[in-house]
Amino acid sequence: MPRLRPSLFWTARRDISPFAALLLRVCRDVPSAANELRWIREHIALTSSPAPPKFRLWKLCEKRAKGTPLQYVLGTQPFGGLEIKCRPGVLIPRHETEAYTTELAQILVRHQPSSSTPLSILDLCTGTGCIALGLLSLLPSPVHIHGIDISPTAISLANTNLHHNTRLGLLPPQPSSIHFTPADIFSPFLLPFLTQPTWDLLISNPPYISRGAFARETARAVRNYEPRLALVPDRDGETAVLGCASEDVFYARLLQLAGILAPRRVFFEVAGIEQAARVVDMVRGDARLSGFYPQVEIWRDSPHEEYEMQRVRNYEVPFRGSGGARGVYLCRHDQR
Amino acid sequence: MLAAPWICRSCARSLRSAGVPRLLRRASTIATLPPALVERARKIAAEHDKLTTALETDFDQKTAVRVGETSRVATALREFEKANASLAELGSLLESNDAELRELAQDDLESTQAQLADLGRKLSVALTPKHPFADMPCLLEIRPGPGGTEGRFFADSLFRMYKSYCDNKGYPTRIVKYDVSESDGQKGSEGEVALQEAILEVQQTGAYGEFRGESGMHRVQRVPATEKSGRTHTSAVAVWVLPSFPETPSTDAESEWDNPESDFYIDVTEVRVETMRARGAGGQHVNKTESAIRLTHMPTGTMVSMQDSRSQHTNRREAWRLLRSRMAQQKREAREELAQNLKSSVLASSQITRGDKIRTYNYQQDRCTEHRSGLDVHNLPNVLEGGEKLGEIFESVQGWLTERDIQTILAEEQAEAAPKGKKGKGALP
Repeated sequence: MPRLRPSLFWTARRDISPFAALLLRVCRDVPSAANELRWIREHIALTSSPAPPKFRLWKLCEKRAKGTPLQYVLGTQPFGGLEIKCRPGVLIPRHETEAYTTELAQILVRHQPSSSTPLSILDLCTGTGCIALGLLSLLPSPVHIHGIDISPTAISLANTNLHHNTRLGLLPPQPSSIHFTPADIFSPFLLPFLTQPTWDLLISNPPYISRGAFARETARAVRNYEPRLALVPDRDGETAVLGCASEDVFYARLLQLAGILAPRRVFFEVAGIEQAARVVDMVRGDARLSGFYPQVEIWRDSPHEEYEMQRVRNYEVPFRGSGGARGVYLCRHDQR
Repeated sequence: MLAAPWICRSCARSLRSAGVPRLLRRASTIATLPPALVERARKIAAEHDKLTTALETDFDQKTAVRVGETSRVATALREFEKANASLAELGSLLESNDAELRELAQDDLESTQAQLADLGRKLSVALTPKHPFADMPCLLEIRPGPGGTEGRFFADSLFRMYKSYCDNKGYPTRIVKYDVSESDGQKGSEGEVALQEAILEVQQTGAYGEFRGESGMHRVQRVPATEKSGRTHTSAVAVWVLPSFPETPSTDAESEWDNPESDFYIDVTEVRVETMRARGAGGQHVNKTESAIRLTHMPTGTMVSMQDSRSQHTNRREAWRLLRSRMAQQKREAREELAQNLKSSVLASSQITRGDKIRTYNYQQDRCTEHRSGLDVHNLPNVLEGGEKLGEIFESVQGWLTERDIQTILAEEQAEAAPKGKKGKGALP
């Protein structure tokens, strides 16, 4: 991290508040320090605690200044119209996830076969449950959603989030059937759980950072505070069996499941263009999968309807949106 | 202009009718409905047919609106051509050898010709573009010209005339402004007060179309109540007619957002959305708290950025709301400027003189003369009560306006046709 000029700290201290100067350590620029300070103050104003507000402000700012992600400091992160609770041990929802979830919900609404049959969605590696709950809030009921995560902490947080948002009135009061189940997606006993005849959407934001990238490319707040379990696939045994790069092992397994379950649409979040290209290769290289999914797209950070064709390794692939490559989208039908 | 300082009215009228071609009157025979107009009508009708078939396959708001606009012309043209065809048929019957048949045809011929003339006029009316504000309610602004209290009294008479005309027609009205000069304390012969300025809003859809011919200088010739030696005075009152824009609803009118007619409508493809996050790795690698959204409306360069909330979703919604209301504001301002230009083109404030009058109210002769259409109406009291005589004047002015519009179209068509003709000749081998 480049050294900050002392004048920045003086400016923040003089123009905004000493707390802003404290937050500058992690925020790295004055406007975002001012923003974060405002959000911390709003949080204190909205929540009650026996401690005096000034003390709480100092405590929270100090915690944040040490590098704790703001979402863990405040305990929540907005996701679409929802308020998702965040706790250490569970990955914090990202803006990119919010963007593609919204876009997918629009696609599902547009292509819903009929309003009477409920849409069924399988969310693997659900974490806070943000994708499942986000889709629940955006799709017309009834919806059938099944969220699966290996971590019991994540499953309990996902259930907490369901009740929290229902209580806030952000979700329909009688949740369409939505379950969160703790399970390992590599387990051979997983399939009997997934009894739905045909899933409309298989969506997953699996761990996808390679060990090297985790050491070098991740932000300090991510590396030090967010669970490694949700970020780096440490699955050496399965990697050897599936025969792929260690960071792609979840995609290999997810595509295996897609080949069995044959959901109508599939979406995986990926790290960037190289990983997206590798996933496209995996789909195209498998005769069964490429038969199922004639349509393979790469979505960028902010996806929208228009797409452009681009050559990625061996294949011409439609790219949607703007920004870095963020996801791979498969669709069984020729309708977009 | 004429060199003579004064010309008697009947001479002036005969001079004018010689100079200005009377299109509507000539349209009473088919031969005189200009081919350029018919050609234009055919073009529009063809477009209408094409759009209607396009609309059957997939619905599009803009196309639907255009079809609605052109249907008037298409229907009028269809009827006109039908009448034309039957006339041609009658013509062939007239040449037949059967005497009885000829007689029958002769009987029908006149009625068909009359019908054709009527349809031709309808067609030319349909062809004239509707004034963009024609469907709106309007504001009538009445101000006396320079001079004494006589003009002010007459301004009040005019105000009452319009007010009672609207009452007779059942149009809802609202007096926006009614300023009386208190200092005088006098009353006119019919109890008028000395009016300084009055604004009457006619809250009827299409009122602007009906009243727009009224804007201009109204001249009065009478012996004022204050005049002791019985001389006739001439004074003038200016009338402006402005379209009245409905107030912006205080609610955000979110339902209006998808309506292309609405001020709040923005073509989504014209807006660039930027999330202001640093480039580099994203996704799980970083954990950014920045949630700022910047929207740029590219055609106008209007930019809105929003970063207040932690939720990108909320920021986006607020940014769109802000952008929409800014754009609506801009559109509104542009429209008001247009209306303002309209006002100054109708009559500059400094131009309130007795010269370019549009109408004269002469009390001594019990006469009201509409100078543009050349209509003389007697029974002035009925006019000033806003009775049917005023309605007649309105109609004649509408006729005059239509005629003027048709001539503009004709000029356009001729200007369009001229270079084409030259090109056509050049292309011939």
